[in-house]
Amino acid sequence: MRFSDLVSLIFSNLNRRKGRVALTAVGVIIGTAAVVLLVSLAIGLQRNATQSFGSITDLTLINVYPNYGEGPIMMGGGGGGMVMEGGGMPQQKMLTTQAIEEITAIPGVASVIPREYVQYSGSMQYGRLEAYGGIMGVGVSDLAEFGYPLEAGTTQLEKGTAVIGGWIAKNWMDPKLRPGQEPPPQPDLLNQQIKVNLIRWTQDGQEVRKTINLRIVGVLQEARSEADSFLFVRLEDSTAWNEWGRGKRINRYKEGYEQLIVKAEDTDVVLDVAEQINNMGYMASTPQSFVQGVNSFFTVLQVIFGGVGAIALLVAAIGIANTMTMAILERTREIGLMKAVGATNRDVLSIFLGEAAGIGLLGGLGGVLVGWLGGQVLNVVAATYLTSQAAQSGGMPTNFGVYTPLWLLGFALVFSTLVGLLSGLYPALRAATLVPVTALKYE
Amino acid sequence: MNTASLICTQGLTKIFQMGRQQVRALDGLDLEIPANSFTTIMGPSGSGKSTLLYILGGLDRPTGGSVKVDGVGLEKMDENDLAIYRRNKVGFVFQSFNLVTSMTALENVAFPMRFMGTPGRKRHDLAQKLLAQVGLEKRAHHRPTELSGGQQQRVAIARALVNNPPLILADEPTGNLDTSSGMSIMQLLSELHNAGRTVVVVTHDPRMLRFATHVVYLLDGKSVSEAEYRAASEMQTFESHEEISA
Repeated sequence: MRFSDLVSLIFSNLNRRKGRVALTAVGVIIGTAAVVLLVSLAIGLQRNATQSFGSITDLTLINVYPNYGEGPIMMGGGGGGMVMEGGGMPQQKMLTTQAIEEITAIPGVASVIPREYVQYSGSMQYGRLEAYGGIMGVGVSDLAEFGYPLEAGTTQLEKGTAVIGGWIAKNWMDPKLRPGQEPPPQPDLLNQQIKVNLIRWTQDGQEVRKTINLRIVGVLQEARSEADSFLFVRLEDSTAWNEWGRGKRINRYKEGYEQLIVKAEDTDVVLDVAEQINNMGYMASTPQSFVQGVNSFFTVLQVIFGGVGAIALLVAAIGIANTMTMAILERTREIGLMKAVGATNRDVLSIFLGEAAGIGLLGGLGGVLVGWLGGQVLNVVAATYLTSQAAQSGGMPTNFGVYTPLWLLGFALVFSTLVGLLSGLYPALRAATLVPVTALKYE
Repeated sequence: MNTASLICTQGLTKIFQMGRQQVRALDGLDLEIPANSFTTIMGPSGSGKSTLLYILGGLDRPTGGSVKVDGVGLEKMDENDLAIYRRNKVGFVFQSFNLVTSMTALENVAFPMRFMGTPGRKRHDLAQKLLAQVGLEKRAHHRPTELSGGQQQRVAIARALVNNPPLILADEPTGNLDTSSGMSIMQLLSELHNAGRTVVVVTHDPRMLRFATHVVYLLDGKSVSEAEYRAASEMQTFESHEEISA
C-alpha cells in the first residue's frame, strides 16, 4: 500500500466519523493546550528571572574577596557560590598587587578590576539639594567594563569626576522643605559640580569633615542593581579619601584591595575561572552559579508543569483508545472485507494506527493553537494588570511574560501524535490480527 | 491431480470447537475443481460448503489435509502470503454484498486497488470500466443505501474483478435477492465464466445448476454423489413433513 494512499484512506475514514473524532480530539486539545501553556509559563518565568538578573549584573563578572583565614566559609546560594578551598589551617590570602597578576594569568580572564568603598562618605550636595548614597572607587577608566547601562553623558572616568547611579540621580531632596511645600524638581546633574561630604572621627570622638568637589560626567540608567545607589569615582580618588579617613597610607602590596571584579571572556568559562580562583585560596563568587541554580530550578518547574499537562493528555489517550476500540467493533466486517480483497495484517495495522495518530495530530494542532493563544491572552491580561499596579505604587512594572518557543509547539505536536499512536496500538493490533472469516461473519 | 484442475483438496478437514463440542465442518474432503469451470457447491445448511469456500479463498485455514490452488498449497502459507494470494488470485462475492456504506459504488469498486498500489487515476478509470461492465455506469456515485439489492451485488461483482482474478468465489450470491435480480446475477457470473475465469458458487438455489459445468454435492463435510444427495434431501423433506404433521 502506497504511503499517499494510506494517508488519504486514514483521513477519509476520520472524515466519516467527524463527530466522534472531534469529541475525542477535544480531550487531546485540552491536554496539549495544558502542556503548551504550562511549559510556556515556566519558560517565561525562567526567561524573566534570568533576564532581570542579567540586567542587574553582567554574567561574565566574578566577585573576588580576600580570604581572611577564618576557616572554610560557605557563602552565596543557588548551587555554588563562594567556597573556600583547601584543607588544614586556612591561610590569609589578601588581594594584593601580586594576586591581581596571578588572577590575570588564568586562561579565560579578560580583565581584573580592583574596587573599593569609600568608608567615610556622608551626604552629597547640589545647591540646596541633598542626596545619600555610597561612593565606590574603581580601578578602571571606563565604567562600561561593568556593563552598567548609561542614561546620559559618558562612562569615562577621570580624576575629580564621577558617574552617578540612576537611583541617586532621581532622589535629591531639599532638607529645608516644609510640610505642604511642593518638592523641587530633580536636577539635571550632567557636567555639574556636586559636593561630597566625608566624615571621620578622631580617637577622642571629634568629628572631622572634608568636602570634595566632583564633576558629574555620566548618569546611569536605573537598573535595579547595586549601581543604582552608588557614585563611581577613580580608584586613586577613593584611595586618597580612605587614607584621609584612616590617617595612614594603604599598602596595596600587603593589605591588597577590598574586592576584585574579574571579567571572564565568556559566560561559558565563568564557573571554571571562579573555581580556579577559589583553588588559589581567594573567595570568588559569580552570579553565573546562581543563574545555574535558577535554571535548574526552572527546568524542574517545566517538567512538573509539563507533567500536569501530560496527565490531561493521558486521559485523552484513554479516550482515543476507547474510540478506536469502538470503531474496530463497528467496522469488524469492513476489516474482514479489507483482508478479503488483499489487505495484509500490516496494512490494517497501519490504517488503524494512522487513524489513532491522526486524532492525536488533529487534537495536537488544536491544542498548540489554543495553548499559544492562551499564552498570548495571559500576557496581555498580566501586562495590563501589572502596569496598572505599578502605576499605583509608582515603581517599574514587574516583568511577566509567557514565552512559547517554536520547539515547544513542534514538540507538543509530535508528542500528541505519539500519544495517539500509542493509544491506538492495542486496538490496531486487535484489528490486524482478526481472522478474516470471523470478521466477515461478525454481526 | 488432474492437470486441468485449478483446485485440488486432499483429506481436507475443518473442526470447529463449539464450547465443549467439536463440530466437523469438513471431514476429509477430496475434491478437484477444473480450471475454467463454473462449479456450484450444493448442500444443506451445515454441510460445510461455506467453510470450504472460505478455505479455498484463503480466508480460513483447514485443521487438516491439503488444499492446492494453481499448484500452490494454501495450508503452508503464512498470513502475509495468504493476503497476497487473495489480492492476486481471488475475487470474492458475498451473500450480504459487504460494501462499505460510506463509499460510493465507484469508491467501493476501487477500494481493493488501494492495497495493490494502483495509482489514483488508474483506479478511477478501471472502476468506471468495471461498473459499466456490470451495467451500473450511471450509478457510480450512488452510495450502497441508494442502490437495490441486485445493484449492490453487481457492484460487489465489479469489485471482485478489479484484480482480474482467475478464480471467482461466490457465497450464496443470490441469497438476499429477489428472483429476477438473482437470475441476472447468475447470468453475470456465467458471463465471467465464459470469459475464461473459474467460478465457484456456493448455493442453495437449484436454478444455478443451469449455468454450472460442474456440481459438487456436500453432506456433513463430505463430497457425495448426486443420487446420495437427492436421497438425503428427500429424507430430510420427509422428516420435516412428519414433524409438521406430528
